[in-house]
Amino acid sequence: MISGNATESGGPAVRIENLDKYYGSFHALRKVNLSVERGERIVICGPSGSGKSTMIRCINRLEQHNGGRITVLGTELNDDVGNIDEIRREVGMVFQHFNLFPHMTVLENCMIAPMIVRKRPRTEAEATARRYLEKVRIPEQAMKFPGQLSGGQQQRVAIARALCMQPQIMLFDEPTSALDPEMIAEVLDVMVTLASEGMTMICVTHEMGFARRVADRVIFMDGGEIVEEAPPEEFFTSCRNERTRQFLSQVLGH
Amino acid sequence: MEMVIVAPPAPGRLEDLRRRFFATPLQALLSLASLAIMVFLAWNLLNWAIFSAVFTTSGGPEACQAAAGACWSVIAARWRIILFGLYPFEEQWRSALACVTVVVMTVLSCIPAFWTGRRIALVWGAGAVLYYVLMKGGVLGLTYVGEEAWGGLALTLFIFVTSCLIGFPLAICLALMRRSELPWISRTTGIIIDGVRSLPLISILFTFAIVLPFALPQWLAGDKLYRVILGSALFFSAYQAEIVRGGMQGVPNGQAEAAMALGMSYWQRISRILLPQAMRNALPATINQFVISFKETSLVVIVGFFEILASGNAAYGTGEWRFAYIEVYAFIAFIYFVFVFSLSRYGAFLERRMSVGER
Repeated sequence: MISGNATESGGPAVRIENLDKYYGSFHALRKVNLSVERGERIVICGPSGSGKSTMIRCINRLEQHNGGRITVLGTELNDDVGNIDEIRREVGMVFQHFNLFPHMTVLENCMIAPMIVRKRPRTEAEATARRYLEKVRIPEQAMKFPGQLSGGQQQRVAIARALCMQPQIMLFDEPTSALDPEMIAEVLDVMVTLASEGMTMICVTHEMGFARRVADRVIFMDGGEIVEEAPPEEFFTSCRNERTRQFLSQVLGH
Repeated sequence: MEMVIVAPPAPGRLEDLRRRFFATPLQALLSLASLAIMVFLAWNLLNWAIFSAVFTTSGGPEACQAAAGACWSVIAARWRIILFGLYPFEEQWRSALACVTVVVMTVLSCIPAFWTGRRIALVWGAGAVLYYVLMKGGVLGLTYVGEEAWGGLALTLFIFVTSCLIGFPLAICLALMRRSELPWISRTTGIIIDGVRSLPLISILFTFAIVLPFALPQWLAGDKLYRVILGSALFFSAYQAEIVRGGMQGVPNGQAEAAMALGMSYWQRISRILLPQAMRNALPATINQFVISFKETSLVVIVGFFEILASGNAAYGTGEWRFAYIEVYAFIAFIYFVFVFSLSRYGAFLERRMSVGER
């Protein structure tokens, strides 16, 4: 469980201050600042290489930042391994390539982390897993292996797997980019439902329809910086920055 | 109009044979000639091994030597030496039970129902104690038999199983260390692995059996048998470590990331996510390594142990059965075959079982 002071503090879910990240000599993130409130839905977009994936991967420390501060649920991310484990338990993540565990059934994929990380008893973990598989609308696939499912189904299992840890924040790293077009909708539907239930969500995606429907704020990144940050209606109609306009015309143009 | 496509009927077995082997007169001739040669060879072999062979010991070596076929009486007369080596004659039932123990332990641990840490540990713990008590004695009214008198199949199995048992976990540790992000760990491990692999097994066995006692204090050196086992375990682990590492390299990075994102600790990621997938990738090469190691146990003869091959030499080496070495080697080959073939079939079973979730 998250430590008491974090939940009581009532501060933002995620606060990023002056974040710097280098890959060798490449400056991937340049003094990025971002604050995400509890229950807020953020959509991050931008051209490839703009640092959007890097930024959300810093939030659960899949990438280590080189400068600045990241505070998640009141706990600062630093080299303290205990902090990192505590934060990862509370932050779910969905990946572009699903990353389901191929040697486990769908049900086991959903049960393993609650059982070995949260130390939940097997019966409880299974009940939770079945509940979330129901929620992502594939309860009948529970005993199958990931390799037997379609891409859209796999991604919904990945969402259920993350939700089974009952996280307070969900990170989505281009969840529909690897999917065939006809499967994108089924994944987005699940995400929309999740958003309507008040989950704190940070989504890197180019699905502008989704952004318009659920986002509280849309963020445009380019060259390792946040270029534009606005509520969706404002973002899509009257963005100030030239680069944003260019990007939008490319994404929405076809 | 609707088109109905019907696959041509599969050719019958006779038709298939005709097409493959008797399509032209020349082909037919070659096929018949090959068949004749094969029948001739098979007949000769069977004639030697069975029809003209002597199976009973009643006539003694002389009658046996006079026969045209194989002299299997040597096996009937000397099988105890082959299986148990120099182990005291009246106590050989203990050695036989010890062999059975090892086989039962191995079979049990190959059954998926026993694949939990506690059950495997129980099987091997109980098995190891049972084996040791049976072979060494000195307790429960069993007479004491020192390791120097162990031999034959019992010794071969003991060396093989213990080497693998020590070598396999060691191999996993070495593989993980070689993948370490800390350069001084990964480089040192790399040097150890490559160093051991650059040496012939014989030199390692010599070093552990004969040189090590000079370098270590008496109480640490232990019996020669255990030093030899450690040496062969080290050799096994160097090769197996690279096999395991290869398996790990086949597991995509995203697997570890997903496990990390779910909050799993390093050891949870290794034991639940990385190793199961890596071992699946590494399975064919691993079985191969087991097979090689089983046959390499015969090298311990050079440091003075009478494993099954050396015991076989002793079985025909004394006077009267000196002529019957082919039969003895055929028998030993058969024993090797039984064990190695079972190992290979078990490997195939595992591969089928593990491929359940593959795309």
